Amino acid sequence: MVSKRNLTRRKFLTHSAVAGGALTLAGANVNLAAAPGGGTIGVGLVGCGKRGVAAAKNCVQSARGVKVVALADAFADAMSGARTALGVDQGKCFAGLDAYKKLLALDEVNLVILATPPVFRPVHFAAAVAKGKHVFLEAPVAICTAGVEMVIAASKAAAADKLAVVAGTQRRHDPAYVETMKRIHDGAIGEIVNAQCYCNLGGADPVKRRPGQSDVEWQIRNWPFFRWLSGDLIIARHAHNIDVINWAFNAIPEAVQGLSGRQYISGPEYGDVYDHFGTEITYANDVQTISTCRQIKGADVLVGERVFGTKGTSNCAGIIEGEKPWKYRGGPTNAYVQEHADMIASIRAGKPLNEGEQAAVSVRAAIMARVAGYSRRRFQRSWFDSKCKMNWLPDEALKLSGTRPVGSAISPASYKLPGLSGGGGKRRR
Amino acid sequence: MAKPNSNTRTTKKAAAVSTLALAAATATRAYAQASGTLRVGLLGCGGRGNGAVRQHLSADRDTVVVAVADLFKNKAASTRDRLTKQFKGRVDIPNDRVFSGYDCHLKLAKCDADILLMATPPAFRGRQMLAAIKAGKNIFTEKPVATDPAGCRQVIEASEIAKKKGLAIVCGTQRRHEFNRVELMKRIHDGQMGELVGGQCYWYGRGIWYRGASQGMTEMDWQCNNWYHFTWLSGDQICEQHIHNIDIMNWCFQGPPVKIMAVGGRGCRDYSRQAKEVCKLFNKGSDKGWAKYNGNIWDHIFAEFEYANGARAISFSGHGPGSGRNGEKVVGTKGTSNCRDRIAGEKSWQYKGKRVNGQQQEHNDLIKSIRAGKPLNEGRRIAESTLTAIGARIAAYTGRNITWDWLMNQSKLDLVPPEERMKPGPGFFRPIPTGADPLV
Repeated sequence: MVSKRNLTRRKFLTHSAVAGGALTLAGANVNLAAAPGGGTIGVGLVGCGKRGVAAAKNCVQSARGVKVVALADAFADAMSGARTALGVDQGKCFAGLDAYKKLLALDEVNLVILATPPVFRPVHFAAAVAKGKHVFLEAPVAICTAGVEMVIAASKAAAADKLAVVAGTQRRHDPAYVETMKRIHDGAIGEIVNAQCYCNLGGADPVKRRPGQSDVEWQIRNWPFFRWLSGDLIIARHAHNIDVINWAFNAIPEAVQGLSGRQYISGPEYGDVYDHFGTEITYANDVQTISTCRQIKGADVLVGERVFGTKGTSNCAGIIEGEKPWKYRGGPTNAYVQEHADMIASIRAGKPLNEGEQAAVSVRAAIMARVAGYSRRRFQRSWFDSKCKMNWLPDEALKLSGTRPVGSAISPASYKLPGLSGGGGKRRR
Repeated sequence: MAKPNSNTRTTKKAAAVSTLALAAATATRAYAQASGTLRVGLLGCGGRGNGAVRQHLSADRDTVVVAVADLFKNKAASTRDRLTKQFKGRVDIPNDRVFSGYDCHLKLAKCDADILLMATPPAFRGRQMLAAIKAGKNIFTEKPVATDPAGCRQVIEASEIAKKKGLAIVCGTQRRHEFNRVELMKRIHDGQMGELVGGQCYWYGRGIWYRGASQGMTEMDWQCNNWYHFTWLSGDQICEQHIHNIDIMNWCFQGPPVKIMAVGGRGCRDYSRQAKEVCKLFNKGSDKGWAKYNGNIWDHIFAEFEYANGARAISFSGHGPGSGRNGEKVVGTKGTSNCRDRIAGEKSWQYKGKRVNGQQQEHNDLIKSIRAGKPLNEGRRIAESTLTAIGARIAAYTGRNITWDWLMNQSKLDLVPPEERMKPGPGFFRPIPTGADPLV
């Protein structure tokens, strides 16, 4: 994890008040908000779905002097609600697959929130950094190894340019989690010897296809059910929980083996994703952990994490039991707001947070688990990192009017691991 | 009370021993069993049944196989012939003790034997054990012992009756009889690894046989012969095979889990070619509706067991492509163990004693316990391990988190057709309840 200060909202308000009005003129390539104490932060929202709009609202709520000034979405109709809710000029709302470029070209946009379907994230992120914007990336930050590499490279560029990069893994900003993790890392539960994380959900309803919609348009609107857009269930939903376990270990997995599939969802409206993943994730010192996620109608819901140490256990979120029991006493915090507060405080303090690489490395663990599920093979991270390359980045020629038949779910019987002979890359998605 | 051996149906030696026992006027069953010939019946003449009877005959010099039973007459007869040839003087099975048909277990229970070896498909074990125990037989049973909670309860009932009658029940979870594991478990239970907080058990391998149908078979005959592929008959792979590893986990934690969560599915089991042939045979040459002959067991289940102290263990099972895995590991606060012969940690330990073949040793232990008048009774334990596997299967099929209390005391799941429905004729095909169905 990238080291960062967890500024409280109160501290940051004081800070920003003191620095208020210290605006200096800056060159065209310098992000105004990057200057310590900076003035109003103009936010551009790319991806105006439910999560995007909520993130923009959270961002505005999180600090004074933050205003949403521009929107971009693949679809004009998706923006109308957001435009009203966030009070954005019609002229600053851009539609289409390249709308993000128009938004990034605006000088008044200092910070962008990237909340489109995950497949686009690395490309949008790299473009935003190139344009000198601070970036809030919704999770997951990538769905393939090429995307992970791209995010890492752009994060390094952002660091060099003093741009903030915060990833929407909101638990990393939740004081209950942060305080618990500090203690776990200080040895409050001894050495971690077992852990679990879950994102077991009930059924989710697909977006119905309307007459006249092209394959690509409908699939983007119905993105969670398509591998090429969401990276599959384990990436789209469960990467958060795996990230928490990585955080607890302060490490990423050494090996994976999984049993996964598509059992109860069927039909083109449910795309080509799996409905369950069960993965054994092994950390250093041969410590095995459980990861499960599912999305099946009628199934029991279970979302959360747990770690077992040699001296105690913890839910990672405010409770430690064992030799040194401890409970988080702070009030409830809206981590979805806190992550923006932390980001903006860091920008105004001139010490921009940069979580890009950490988020990318963490999601790579989930990608590894996905590949383990597809292949039913057990493999080491060292092998995966050196051999297993896959590029699921969006096709540059992608058009909203495009044709794209719904593929079938991956069968482990015919799946070839990328990196093994016969497997690989774009063909396999 | 043992029936005195009838001269017409035993070897001279056995008869002599029996006479001696009677002459001593202490013809209690325990005494007869302690010193006399033990008469053995085999129920289920497949590969495992044949293996079990060989191991059983090697366990004690004074045992004689007196009856065989199988659903299929040819299997029972060929087993009789093979055993007679291979174990001269140890086999005495006249034609009238070669039983076959759907009620062969009832005929076998009536015959004059001290021990029955049970190796039919798991679905029928509960009712077969009850019949055998009520008829006063000691039992060696293959695992698992049921395919549903109702069957597990029958086995527990049989086990209670056995206790009262002083009859032995030993089960073919052979790992429990390996000296190295017995010694290891003593240490784990003594706290040599601290408190247990986690574990893993695996059985993921390649596929299994698929048996086609032949002329003269009814659909039910075929289904019972191709039993592995149907949940009601085999309990699914997690129950049929992975139970060995699950039983080890339960052994480590000294009881079954209190809660089970699981995901799973059937992704790669494809027997379409054979299933279509079977379909044609039973449907006037048409392969329409062949899918049900493909079987309904899944090919992977990933489960989490929560034990009484809150520890969580992985159960990882299935068949198909990818990396095979078989074994167990348990994790404590002060060390880990491979569940076989080693502890690594603060108090490391390595087993250095004698190694035995568990599949042989379980028969040695069974007969020894009978002869010593201290019959082993593993009935409840194997019912609990079977039920653990069944619980994980139900959790995976339905997406519900299952508690032990519900599983043991409330579940009404009863997959096996009643005895009177078991006869030549149409097969028995049951849809699998999903998360959308009420939990039964």
